[in-house]
Amino acid sequence: MKRVMFALAVLALFVGSAYAQGTIKIGGIWTLADITGKQGSAAAQLAVEEINAAGGVLGKKLELIVVDDEGKADKAAAAVEKLATVDKVDVFVGGMASGAELGKIPAFKKYNKVVMSTGAAGGTVEKGLGPSPDSDFYFHLHPWDYNQGASYAEGWDAIQKKYPNIQIKKIFLAYEEGAFGKSSWDATKILFGSDNRYIVDGASFKSALLGGGDYTAVLEAAKAFKPDLFIWAGYDADALPLLEQSKAMKFSPGIYLGAPPGWPIDFGASKLSPNVMLYGMWSTAMNNNNPASAKFFKNYVAKYKEEPATYFAPLAYSAVYILAEGIKNAGTTETTALIKALEATKYVSPLGETITFKPSNIIKHQGITRQKILQWQNGEQQVIWPFEAATAAPVYPFPAWK
Amino acid sequence: MNRNASRILAALFGVLAVTLPFFAGDYPLQVARNIMMYMALAITWDMLLRSGQISFGIAGLFGIGAYSAILSVIRAGMPAWFSILFAAIFSGVVAFVIGFLILRLRAMYFSIVTLALGEIFRIIIHNLHDFTGGPEGVVIQKGVIFGGNANSLYWLVLAGLAVALAASFWFEKSKIHFALTAIRNNEISAQSSGIDIFRWLLLAFVVTSAIQGLLGGIFVQSYGFATPDAVFSADFTLLPLAMALLGGVYSTTGPIFGAILLGLASEWLKLKIPYGHLVVYGIIIVIVILFMPQGLRQLVRRTSHSADGRSA
Amino acid sequence: MVMKRRTAIIAALSIAAAVVLILWKPTVLIYGLQAAGLYAAVAIPMGLVLGIVHIVNLAHGEFMMVAAYAAYFGCKALGMDPLLAIIPTAIVTAVFGWVIFQLTIRRALKAPELNQLILTFGLAIAFTQTINLIFTSQTYKIPLDYVSASMDIGDLTFGVWSFVFVAVAIIFAYGVKFFLTKTMTGKAAVAVGQNPRGAAIVGIDVYRTYGLVFALALALVGAMGALFLTKSAIFPSVGSPFTMKSFCLIAMAGIGNIPGILGASVLLGVSENFLRAFRPTRDWAEIVFFVLIIAVILARSLKGRKS
Repeated sequence: MKRVMFALAVLALFVGSAYAQGTIKIGGIWTLADITGKQGSAAAQLAVEEINAAGGVLGKKLELIVVDDEGKADKAAAAVEKLATVDKVDVFVGGMASGAELGKIPAFKKYNKVVMSTGAAGGTVEKGLGPSPDSDFYFHLHPWDYNQGASYAEGWDAIQKKYPNIQIKKIFLAYEEGAFGKSSWDATKILFGSDNRYIVDGASFKSALLGGGDYTAVLEAAKAFKPDLFIWAGYDADALPLLEQSKAMKFSPGIYLGAPPGWPIDFGASKLSPNVMLYGMWSTAMNNNNPASAKFFKNYVAKYKEEPATYFAPLAYSAVYILAEGIKNAGTTETTALIKALEATKYVSPLGETITFKPSNIIKHQGITRQKILQWQNGEQQVIWPFEAATAAPVYPFPAWK
Repeated sequence: MNRNASRILAALFGVLAVTLPFFAGDYPLQVARNIMMYMALAITWDMLLRSGQISFGIAGLFGIGAYSAILSVIRAGMPAWFSILFAAIFSGVVAFVIGFLILRLRAMYFSIVTLALGEIFRIIIHNLHDFTGGPEGVVIQKGVIFGGNANSLYWLVLAGLAVALAASFWFEKSKIHFALTAIRNNEISAQSSGIDIFRWLLLAFVVTSAIQGLLGGIFVQSYGFATPDAVFSADFTLLPLAMALLGGVYSTTGPIFGAILLGLASEWLKLKIPYGHLVVYGIIIVIVILFMPQGLRQLVRRTSHSADGRSA
Repeated sequence: MVMKRRTAIIAALSIAAAVVLILWKPTVLIYGLQAAGLYAAVAIPMGLVLGIVHIVNLAHGEFMMVAAYAAYFGCKALGMDPLLAIIPTAIVTAVFGWVIFQLTIRRALKAPELNQLILTFGLAIAFTQTINLIFTSQTYKIPLDYVSASMDIGDLTFGVWSFVFVAVAIIFAYGVKFFLTKTMTGKAAVAVGQNPRGAAIVGIDVYRTYGLVFALALALVGAMGALFLTKSAIFPSVGSPFTMKSFCLIAMAGIGNIPGILGASVLLGVSENFLRAFRPTRDWAEIVFFVLIIAVILARSLKGRKS
């Protein structure tokens, strides 16, 4: 009898420990050759380690398995298959380029596991996902292109109300000719151009990132239009050359605003950077008034000895925390229960807002809907709007070139 | 290895390829699909190369096929399977028309013009926003073909590959082979021996382009979307070219070896070296081409001491 | 005589077009020439390699990218202006190019010509991805005051810095022409380019000549890399679009016709900017590049068949 008891005890111990040793696997898919994916995956790994150090989730450790999608649809589909069938992950995280994300959708739908998406702003991705309930597994953290457009319209209204010296009537958008720029243009035309409060015009250019880099024609068109607000939607490679060309052509609008996903290294050190405005989600200035941001930043720099260059790092970090909390509340990674738990998410993120999920145009689970309006001041990006996250007041107008 | 042995081997490979879904998981099937897609493109590129014409227009015709398939579904309500055939026909017709213009060009000038035509196709698709969806692309709302069933999708790509293989063998075994080889080796003597060079080139160009279009159609139907960046990607030109050359050109088996080598290497490296695998990939291409200038086939032939006697 | 009359007609037409543009849309001409200068300056070294060594160097743009990174970090370390880095970068890139040539391309010269194409494609991937691994995909740019230099004529204000590329393109084109026609080494290179076997028989070291021409072309690429840094931000894939554009320009000019690259570049640069100047045609500017290339090549082949 004693012996049986002992055997049972050993067995219980064995089973128990085996159970505790089991991990919750998170499959991460990013474009690793790109800075956004490289740092996004690093930030997600940081979140996993922090959560594990604090005791894990449901008594288990989290494990992040990262596979590169190379920004290609077919490779992205293979990445989903590998994570789902070979590694048998419980949930997915990641995503950046819409073209690669579209390739993943058929495989995601097949496995119907929860996906916490950190990128893919293109409206075609939402169309590809289709309406609820078939797309309920997909939690889209990043705002869709039309969300971003709407938040800018809202932001500029608020700014003009609060700072009466800022008056905007004419808006010009210089947009890169690819999907990113074109969708910005579509959203801008609709949201600013609908009621006759603003006069909107725009022209496309080929981004240096995609083999262009000649901004003369688009700036000629902008200069002739004499806008109060000049916006360019391109990539970081366009930032300084555009400013230099604008200066050469003596084009100085009241507000000069850039909307690239990231900025070039040392942009803040350039003499042309002061008072350039930008759209974004996160900046180091937020460490001063946002404890979640300060904690993320401190831990990221301590682990990787570099600063996060774009907001995709805190976004991926947030994605892992949201998943962990959802799994904890659901008590399982089973899809239906987890979806239900995630719908109750209220995560105080390092991005300066509390993330919850609400329906967007097509899908049921859209996270962040607002971008921020920021401004380069003394070499750092300061948040101007939303006012609750603001770190500085706007400097206006953009100084004329000397 | 004599001819019978190689036939048996080929038959074994064929059986293995067809029955793969019965014993392989979805991940190997997806990888196999990716490899077979490029393999088929590499074979079609090689088929035209046998006449000496180097095409840089694979991505252009692949993209044309992709868009004709997806737009015929979205704008005209065509059934998915028929849209794939339509893609082949449409690309074939396009190739027929442009073939009249460009097939009299030789060497680098032909290559450049095919490259430029591919870019023109891309820009047209890119700019006709209302019809094509513009740079953001279009998606098929009702999802991918066969409801996304992994086995069926695999067989669909395999069927595309089979078409390319069949055409390639037909080119190798029929008198097309002699015509194209004669054109490549010495155009003037080919002409004087009564070969209608232009007609044979047009045939080869139309057939290979139609297959490239077919593959484009298969691609969009199995992923359910098309964007100009995704389907006109330079990868669809350069990777098949690299695969054919690494495997050994002027043959059907060369591109097969090359596609397997590069396809598996790229997937394996990606998992082993998440950050930086593409560096190794580039170096592999350099090393293989330096040490096996005739491609992998040379290695296979050398080790088997082929009694075949035929040279490439 | 016929040739002369044709040249005169082309010259007269070009001048007439230029005058019309100056009066009507001066910016088209200004920015068209600036764009043309950059196109040509990058394409000329590739044309030299293609004309003599007979390889399509798919890593052409990537060599320029590597040179630009070298120039950037040289400038950062020494607090130097990129203009001062032109000569050192040219030398470093020439040596780098020569080493790469000896290690790889030289060994593939006897192989079928397509092998060199795919070899340089492999090099291009290796270069881009190595730089990406070390420096990430983030962009680097040296902020410079003089690149915003501007000029006012009436109510027209435009940037003048990019005219430097026009000057460089002309220097490159005529420098290369001088080298090929007036120096012993250059003449030997032309002989090798036209008939390697014949050149070997008369005692020219063919491989040495190839290596030399390649290194010389790479010196020009290196110089362009440093100069490019003044104007553009750099990132791993910054070079690759230039490979295709250069290849197209060379085909348009005709292989071996180095000064012809200047003419082809001006035609393309001005036409592109002409379409960009008008609202309805703005988005179609890119297509003109490819349409013109096809038109010129087809027209030339048609004429070649007639004569």
